[in-house]
Amino acid sequence: MLEQTASLLSDMSTATLTRPATSAWMGVDSGVMSERPASASTLSEDLDVAEETEAARRTRFERDALQYVDQLYSAAMRMTRNPQDAEDLVQEAYTKAYSAFHQYKPGTNLKAWLYRILTNTYINIYRKRQRQPQQANTDTVEDWQMAQAAEHTSSGLRSAEAEALDHLPDNDVKEALQQIPEEFRLAVYFSDVEGFAYKEIAEILNIPIGTVMSRLHRGRKLLRGLLADYARERGFNRGEKN
Amino acid sequence: MGTENCKDCETTAEAAERLERIYEYLDGVLTRKDITEVQQHLTDCPECASDYDLECVIRSVVKRSCTEQAPEMLKVTIIERISQIKLDARH
Repeated sequence: MLEQTASLLSDMSTATLTRPATSAWMGVDSGVMSERPASASTLSEDLDVAEETEAARRTRFERDALQYVDQLYSAAMRMTRNPQDAEDLVQEAYTKAYSAFHQYKPGTNLKAWLYRILTNTYINIYRKRQRQPQQANTDTVEDWQMAQAAEHTSSGLRSAEAEALDHLPDNDVKEALQQIPEEFRLAVYFSDVEGFAYKEIAEILNIPIGTVMSRLHRGRKLLRGLLADYARERGFNRGEKN
Repeated sequence: MGTENCKDCETTAEAAERLERIYEYLDGVLTRKDITEVQQHLTDCPECASDYDLECVIRSVVKRSCTEQAPEMLKVTIIERISQIKLDARH
C-alpha cells in the first residue's frame, strides 16, 4: 500500500502550494494580497525538516494537520456520498500525508496540501473501486441540466426564489450538489465552501486555472437550477410566505 | 424577457456574461476598476441585483449544509494508524 502511496505522491513534492488560504476576495478588495501571520510561519519556516526526529515530526503532524479532520471529512462526504467510505478515505489520506510529510514545505499552505492528497487518494484508489456508472454520461446529463438552468435564470420570481432556497433543508442541498457531475461539484465545493482561490483549486485538482473557472461557472449554474427544482418541489416557489 | 432588464442585459448572452461577472465579483478575482463597475451595475439593474442576492444565498446555504463533523473516533483512529508508520530515519 505504501509503495503505491509513494508513486502517488511523488508529483506532489514539486507542487508548492504557496499562499495561505486567506479569503481571496478580501485580499483584492483591500488591495492586500498576502496577509500571512508572520510570527507563526517564520518559526516553522526555520524548521530543518531533514534533521527532525520521528517523534517531533509526528507531534508536528498531529498539531498542524489533524485540525482539518472535520473539513476533510466534509469534503470526503461530497466525494464518496456515505459516512463509512468518507471515514476510510480521510484515514487513508492522512496516512499518506504523514508518510509524505517530509515533502511538505513548512510555512506553505498545509490545508491545500492535505486537500490535494485527499483528492488524489479519492481519484486514484477510491473511485476505481467504486465504479460509478454515471461518469461516462457526463455530457448528456450536463446538457440537459444546462437547458434547465438557463430556463430558471429567466424566471421572474428571483426574490421569492432566494427566500425559498434559503429555507431548503440541508439534505436537499446536499442531494442537489451530489447531482452535479463530479468535476464541477468539487470545484464548486472547494471554492464556495472552503474558500480556496482559483489558483489553489487548480493545484488541488491539478488542472489549469482556466479550467477551474469554467468548471465553477458551469457547476454553479447547474446547482442553481437544481436548487430551484428542489425549492419548487417543496412548494416554496410561489412567493407566498407562511 | 424580463421587463426589468436594463439595457446592458437585454440579450440572454449579455445576461449570462453578467452572471459570470457576479461570480467573479464574489470570488474576488476582479480588479478594482471592475469591482466598481459591477457595484455600479448592481445598483442600476434590479435583475442582476436579484441574481447577486440569489448567488449569495446559494453560497451560504451550500456552506451551511455541507459543514459536517467527523465522527469522534476518526481522529483517534488516524493517530493510531500514523503511530504504526515507521518513517525512514532521513529523507
